[in-house]
Amino acid sequence: MKDTDYPARERARLADRELLRRYHEDADVGARETLVRRHLSLVRTLARRYANCGEPLEDIEQVGAIGLLKAIDRFDLGREVALATYATPNVLGEIKRHFRDRGWAIRVPRALQELNARMSQTIERLTSQLGRSPSIAEISAALETTPEETLEALEVGSNYTTLSLSTGPGDEGDADPLETIGSDDDGFERCEDRAALEPALAHLASRERAILRMRFEEGLPQIQIADQVGLSQMHVSRLIRRSLGAMREQLD
Amino acid sequence: MSERISLEVPLDATFGPVVRLIVGGIVERADFGFEDLDDLQLAIERLLAEAGHEGRVRLDFQLGAGRIRTRVGPLRESGLADALQVPDASPGGGMTLGRVLATVVDSYGFELTSEGDVLVRLEKLAGKTAA
Repeated sequence: MKDTDYPARERARLADRELLRRYHEDADVGARETLVRRHLSLVRTLARRYANCGEPLEDIEQVGAIGLLKAIDRFDLGREVALATYATPNVLGEIKRHFRDRGWAIRVPRALQELNARMSQTIERLTSQLGRSPSIAEISAALETTPEETLEALEVGSNYTTLSLSTGPGDEGDADPLETIGSDDDGFERCEDRAALEPALAHLASRERAILRMRFEEGLPQIQIADQVGLSQMHVSRLIRRSLGAMREQLD
Repeated sequence: MSERISLEVPLDATFGPVVRLIVGGIVERADFGFEDLDDLQLAIERLLAEAGHEGRVRLDFQLGAGRIRTRVGPLRESGLADALQVPDASPGGGMTLGRVLATVVDSYGFELTSEGDVLVRLEKLAGKTAA
């Protein structure tokens, strides 16, 4: 049975077990998507346990969402266990593995990691207070650090290896469900015309496409985009950079 | 304040973070906002990404009152001039390097050298990004 045979509104009313059955037995990817969205609050709750480990909470949530996706994929319909129960160790395991194996792409002093983790909230608070984007000097004063340390912490944040777009949906084990939900990766053709990045947009997940459209077509500042998509300004900045980088790579 | 800073860097991705840090330090001296800093870093990063992975590129910064002018080049041409054309401003007008630059800096332009390479000029004004 095809995805379109089940309207989204109907899926939303179904119990987890029925959605799991539809996904595993009927290949209803919409059911899987509904399950992911339904249990993202669980992922957020679990991710919060690691909020003070020197990495942005949003990045940890993305990692945890992979654990959720794996739990849905591996779920055995013959077992009498709730999906949330089954998913919890999968989500925690994924987060722990991430901290152990991937972590910081370069060796970064812990103090800088922690400074980077505090940066996002500070920038948002100052932006709200000042009614404009804060300067590095203002961020540094709020964090009681030097401008150089602030810049370094910003930079190590961009070197932190989250589940980047460059990982790509082809790497099945590491695919980020938040980035692949709703994406249409089929039919992408290599573009030889580097004047136009447009064709490479189709290779991005829907959220990244939406962010790029908001930034470069509608001209919205990062902070407004962050509000609309529910991410921090720093995270939006990282996604824009990575998306543009990934698009350029597609054209090479 | 009116200061000039010049540097020459290898066109090697491993130096990308170094360039970002230096640009950050320069922008910090001009007391720009965080998003302005991010914008200028992104503009330079995208230009360097177009320049390939071999050779060197020169970056010249001129700090004035509330503005930073940057010159990047020479960059290998190979279609770059087309990519830098003024973007179609209409919705759905296409995502081009020109559109990216037009968004993140206040003005930009380019010229071709006698060797056929491209020199790109960027101008970023402070305080244009409100919350």
